[in-house]
Amino acid sequence: MLELKNISLTIDENKILNNLNMRFDEGKRYVILGNNGTGKSTIANLMMGVKKYHPQEGKILLNGKDITDLGVYERAKLGITIAFQNSVRFEGITTFDYLTLGGKVKASLEDAKKALELAGLNSDYLKRRVDSSLSGGERKRIELASILMLEMKYVILDEPDSGIDMMSLETISNIINILNKRGTTTITITHREEIAQNSDYAYLICAGRVFNEGAPEKMASYYKELCDRCDHPNDLLKIAESR
Amino acid sequence: MQISANYANEFEKIAEAYEKSGGDASNLLDKSISSIIISGDKIIGLNTVKGVEIESGTQEKGVWAKIRILKGNKIEKPIHLCTGFLGKEGEQRVNFDFFIEDDAEVSFISHCSFPWSTKLTHKMVANVHIGKNAVMTYNDEHFHSEAGGVTLISDTHAVVEDGGKYENNFELTKTRVGTLKVRMDVDLKKNAVAKFDSKIRGKEDDEISIVESLGLNGEGAHGIAKSTVVATDRTRARIINEAFGNAPYSKGHIECNEITKGDKVDVSTLPVLKVTNDLSELTHEASIGRVNSEQLDTLMAKGMSEDEATEFIIRGILR
Repeated sequence: MLELKNISLTIDENKILNNLNMRFDEGKRYVILGNNGTGKSTIANLMMGVKKYHPQEGKILLNGKDITDLGVYERAKLGITIAFQNSVRFEGITTFDYLTLGGKVKASLEDAKKALELAGLNSDYLKRRVDSSLSGGERKRIELASILMLEMKYVILDEPDSGIDMMSLETISNIINILNKRGTTTITITHREEIAQNSDYAYLICAGRVFNEGAPEKMASYYKELCDRCDHPNDLLKIAESR
Repeated sequence: MQISANYANEFEKIAEAYEKSGGDASNLLDKSISSIIISGDKIIGLNTVKGVEIESGTQEKGVWAKIRILKGNKIEKPIHLCTGFLGKEGEQRVNFDFFIEDDAEVSFISHCSFPWSTKLTHKMVANVHIGKNAVMTYNDEHFHSEAGGVTLISDTHAVVEDGGKYENNFELTKTRVGTLKVRMDVDLKKNAVAKFDSKIRGKEDDEISIVESLGLNGEGAHGIAKSTVVATDRTRARIINEAFGNAPYSKGHIECNEITKGDKVDVSTLPVLKVTNDLSELTHEASIGRVNSEQLDTLMAKGMSEDEATEFIIRGILR
């Protein structure tokens, strides 16, 4: 079980997360739903241990063990990984090299082809370089394929749909379900309620707090009715604080 | 190609060095491939094919060669230039003159291998003349000793006539550099194109100095000069990329990326752009710093340590 307990995070004097509490049980599909600017990606980076996102208050626990001070690599060794929102470019690295991490991931060419296919790309991409010759959407799909090549206990997908067309929601759901069948806990961060439908539990985030949580259908509908038309998430800080 | 019995043993060692540097030694004996094999101050093998004329000789502490690609000939297989030095100490001087006649097309694969040298100075001077609408590509890969005792001084001056194309790729990434002083300049005439691309990896107390200079002297001339240097440990690197826009509608781009690893590296880059014709356009990009943290985080989140991830990224950049 991965837990965020009373987490508060301030960056450059801006309070991004405010006494946040979340819990992710093993083998379930979670979604973190919220408008842009509400702190969702901050939660993703914080869970992965990215340096800039170390909380000033609160703890991150993995099966009861405090991992708050562990960095990205140490958390990956414990079975936590992420597909970051922005899929970065790697000059000179082919997709095959990237998927197998230069041989560190013991996988066959067929495994790589299959992962790529599940992410919606054909095997021609294996020889292509993960650089600026690929679009952001193509790199995003390669990133999703790379997640399928790993065997992790917790997978954080930060806005997996950004840069990918509507038709691909099915691809994303499919990947989440494949991971789920392997027993992986998936934590999908999104501002689209359609993605929330394919989960077991949803957190609704507003102004760096859990504003509501529960059944995905209920949270999706709540989000659509209230949050979707709210252009000023920061104004909700007062409401959130009063809860 | 036949290697005389006197040089059979020497060729064997040179071929071994050539293979170490990534070359395929069987190409050196292939009669359908034009090649020159240099060992120390001798040419121990030479082969030409139709459309290629080679004159050669010896000079003090080295050799010279004049390579001419005859007008309109497109040489199907790359010409191989294999330069080696088997001794531990010494000096080697190599002078090349390349004449690529009008409408000819050729590529060269040059391997300079000094894996056993602990104190060697290798001086190379190349004069390149590329005729109208002719094309020349020169891929130059170096393989030095790990002792760091090789000093390489390379000076290339090229003239590219109207509509000609010249590409020069220099690579020294597999071994220690030692001391490196490279200068490449090109005089580009009307609609001529040039591309310089240098990739170097320095470690321990290697010293790297590169000057790449584009003279955009003809209307519509285009040029790119790009240097990529990975500097680790106590490496010192000085990179100067220059572009001179002297003709209308000429375009030049210079770029230098230096990746640093280690708190004792000493690196600098100096872009020089000068326009004497207001219809010329010049641009530059430069960066110096550690490996991008987003790239590192992405790879570390997949289970690579920081060192593994850094090496993975650097290998990609130098590829």
